[in-house]
Amino acid sequence: MSLPVSVAKPVDVPEAIPPTPSLPRRLLSSTASWVFVIDIFLVILFGALSVNHTFWTVAALEVVALDSTTALILACGIALLLGAGEIDLSVGASLLLASVFGGQVMIDVASSGTLATALIGLLVCIATGAGVGLFNGLVVTRFRVSSLIATLATLGIATGIANIVTNGTDVTGVPVALQNDVGIRDFAHIPLPAFIALAVWGMMWMVFRTTRFGLRMLALGSSRSAAERSGIRVRAQLVTAFVIVGVLAGLAGFIDLTRFATTNLAGHQTDALAAITACVIGGTSLFGGRVSIAGVLAGTLLAVLLEDGLVVVGLSPFYQLIAIGAVLIAAVAIDSQRSTGSLRLLRR
Amino acid sequence: MSTTTDIGSARTLPDDVVIAARGIGKTYGHVRALHDVSFELRRGEVVAVFGDNGAGKSTLAKCLCGVETPDSGHIEINAQRVELNSIRDAERYGITSAHQDLALAPDLSVLENMFLGRELIRSGWRGWLRMLARGAMAAKSEVALAELQIKLPSVRVQVGALSGGQKQAVAVARAAMWSRTGILMDEPTAALGTRQSDVVCELIRSTADRGLGVMVISHDIPRVLAVADRIVVLLHGSVALRAASRDVTGRDIVDAMVGYHMQAEGS
Repeated sequence: MSLPVSVAKPVDVPEAIPPTPSLPRRLLSSTASWVFVIDIFLVILFGALSVNHTFWTVAALEVVALDSTTALILACGIALLLGAGEIDLSVGASLLLASVFGGQVMIDVASSGTLATALIGLLVCIATGAGVGLFNGLVVTRFRVSSLIATLATLGIATGIANIVTNGTDVTGVPVALQNDVGIRDFAHIPLPAFIALAVWGMMWMVFRTTRFGLRMLALGSSRSAAERSGIRVRAQLVTAFVIVGVLAGLAGFIDLTRFATTNLAGHQTDALAAITACVIGGTSLFGGRVSIAGVLAGTLLAVLLEDGLVVVGLSPFYQLIAIGAVLIAAVAIDSQRSTGSLRLLRR
Repeated sequence: MSTTTDIGSARTLPDDVVIAARGIGKTYGHVRALHDVSFELRRGEVVAVFGDNGAGKSTLAKCLCGVETPDSGHIEINAQRVELNSIRDAERYGITSAHQDLALAPDLSVLENMFLGRELIRSGWRGWLRMLARGAMAAKSEVALAELQIKLPSVRVQVGALSGGQKQAVAVARAAMWSRTGILMDEPTAALGTRQSDVVCELIRSTADRGLGVMVISHDIPRVLAVADRIVVLLHGSVALRAASRDVTGRDIVDAMVGYHMQAEGS
């Protein structure tokens, strides 16, 4: 050493950031925890307001769990893309197309037994979703179309195909056995689809928490140029992510199909927007780099609790749309306050 | 020749050139960005490259780190002629760069940034799932930062929460960690205040003292002159002045940058 160097002098400290806050403080400052608090408050409120407190019954909460499943699965997929600063508006259409193809195939093979029918249907649904996702990924990475535009186009294309294939009438006649064995089956009062959704959610948590794939998704969203410079294969990473989102949409399509034993051609137009809303309310950034998987669960539950709770207390479910809109604005406003610094110390 | 090569390594010879440009030229359309420029960077030395805007400093750096390919002349790394077509190519030869735009992801932690694109993976089934070995990465990051005497509250802190000087220090530490031969730094002090600039300049010196060659492009003449062993001044894409830094003053450099005096002093 030719020079005595001390790079970080004590004088540097005022500029240094405060040490990592303790766990209780982090929980207090995380958006997800606050949304969970609102979720619990809603359960208490609607329970107290409902006749005979029916909202506090296992049956009512089972419906909430069941209603949350497809929304949660789609929101997990959207969170993956939002992490990279990308978006997928076509998840609802992808779900629909998957349920149309899956439903028709399952009707055709219904004679081969419930298990075989279910497996074949699941496979068709997932393959359809994966195909839509692959298409999205290739359009975004090869043709350099922004994911907002590419998936908006896919939303139209997939919805169009679903309606043409079915002549605009829903696929009915899916074996009822599937409903009892899969769609509305429960274990210890927890519906099977809710288990599947929670498993997906847990896996997504692992992806972001522990894997290189998750880290690189966040790197893409945090600084695309830094990611490219570091040698990450950006295109392959993005195509993979779009395919995963497609697979999740296909899985959601299968669950939707087995739950209702029919497709719902008119019912999935706002699925993607609901999934994006759930992510953003829970603290995931629209601009990439920051994802809260706990927030995805909290945000999804918020929307479902509001919708189901309003019905139980006898109010129009349309109030849910208003409430969600207000919460969305509040969540994003608080978030942007934080990032502009006034609440900096609370930021994780 | 003036080189400070007192790092006690057997490999450190006066002619231990890690990267060299041999008479390179580069033209963009009608603009001649570089014309017959030769440049050498040795192990353990800091070479400062000065020049006015458009003098060709950045083009030279881009040719050396693989972003641009020269039209004429060639690049040598460790005395071997090489073709660099990408940053990756340069990195394969142990040349890394710490760039003006920092190339850090603000939402990721220090350790995640240090290993971005080269993450360590756990062994066994976790490796099959490409799970991160965060403990190992944290330990290695801490060692790399400590070697340069950079102190941060934690390597798990988000880069976006660091000050400008700390970010630059992380960028330099990352470049130093993955470099085996030389580091190219483009305006490392451009966005920094006085004291932070001093800190980064000390860091540049200590990086070179570890045995790496460091090329620094800067407008910050007095500060960078103080830590450099040699200086090169570019003017209109050609070398206007080449000197040992102790033989020149800031005034000489400014004169050379604007073309007043073309006589090289010293060396």
